[in-house]
Amino acid sequence: MKENVMDWVFMQSPQGEVREVEATTEALTPLMVAGWHQVPAPAASTGPVAQKPAAPAVEEK
Amino acid sequence: MANINELMEGWGFGKQTAIGTANAGTAIWRHTNLNTKPWAKVPVNEDDRAEIGKGHEFPTQLFRSHYNMPPFELSKYASSEFLAWAMCFSLGNVTLTGSGPYTYVIVPALGATNATGLELPYFSFVQQIRPGGSAVLDEMLVGCAVKSWKLSIKNSPGRASAMCSVECVTTGQYTSPSAITLPAVSTPHEFNAGMITALTFNGINYLSGGSAKQFVSMDASWENNFRPGFFPGSGSQDGYQIQGRFEWGDRAFAVQFVVRVQTGSTEYATLINLTTGTATFTVTRDANNSFSMLIQKMGFSVAELGNTDGIVTLQITGVQLYDATNGLVTMTIITPITGICQ
Repeated sequence: MKENVMDWVFMQSPQGEVREVEATTEALTPLMVAGWHQVPAPAASTGPVAQKPAAPAVEEK
Repeated sequence: MANINELMEGWGFGKQTAIGTANAGTAIWRHTNLNTKPWAKVPVNEDDRAEIGKGHEFPTQLFRSHYNMPPFELSKYASSEFLAWAMCFSLGNVTLTGSGPYTYVIVPALGATNATGLELPYFSFVQQIRPGGSAVLDEMLVGCAVKSWKLSIKNSPGRASAMCSVECVTTGQYTSPSAITLPAVSTPHEFNAGMITALTFNGINYLSGGSAKQFVSMDASWENNFRPGFFPGSGSQDGYQIQGRFEWGDRAFAVQFVVRVQTGSTEYATLINLTTGTATFTVTRDANNSFSMLIQKMGFSVAELGNTDGIVTLQITGVQLYDATNGLVTMTIITPITGICQ
């Protein structure tokens, strides 16, 4: 499971919405007052992950 | 026999998973306490003196009733660790971030959205004198909660200029011996009044500018007004009923402060005009240890003229108003300790 990292934190609303927000007093206070609470970071997706196309080989001159 | 100096106290910095489930030893820290009394256990017995049919008015029989545990005070010099603990366990809604130091943002929980309803986090309290085979005292009180706290700041030198006392309650459940090996006593990062870096009440900055030399003292307090926790199924210990919950009642947040009066003092005008504004109190020891109390909307209800040590002063009683967006108060604490109330 991905950890909460410094300066950002995952919060969950009373309705279940999870949002990553900046961990500042100004950003957290209205959410916490509205009933949001801290939750662990959601688990990374286990489905297929799109990969960037491989960079074309550069021919040495 | 033992001297009270031998008393060792430790309590959960982590929260219990349930009111009747004690903290593990790994979530218990050990601190000193200026309160020199141990936490007394008071089992209460009752008798049958009120019952007629015995032929006389005198009691003939004793009955076990309940554990009436008196509140217990943790009285300490204010520190980042202790303030973080006190605010987390008294207010209940905590967000923890960082990877050392750690930042705790704390607001009062609301019953409508608090996962445990009207109940705050619980912790265990350990008190020991010569633990081991010949212990004088070794017990762990389970299901403790923070009933109230008081933060006092005053013009004086040293650690006594910033004090925090916390009043705790407990259910009556205990284990003896505690089976806990207390760690070495903690060395908290303490504050003093000289470390105050923000001191603004309702638009008046008492730290710099024209009002910089006015401030004398401040007392802030919180009271959870717990309801009695005896109910069907609340449990028993030694045949005595114990409490099974501590639900907050009408909570009270009080702030009073004393300032010197000078030409142009604006406190009276602020009171009469019903002016409201934020109040910010911050004390900073270093980058790893600070405490900030942000009152979202403060008005003044009383400004009483008096004197303090011969100086003409005003004692201001604040009214902390609930702001629809930002609530009542936000505590932000930076401390090296993680896991507080987790």
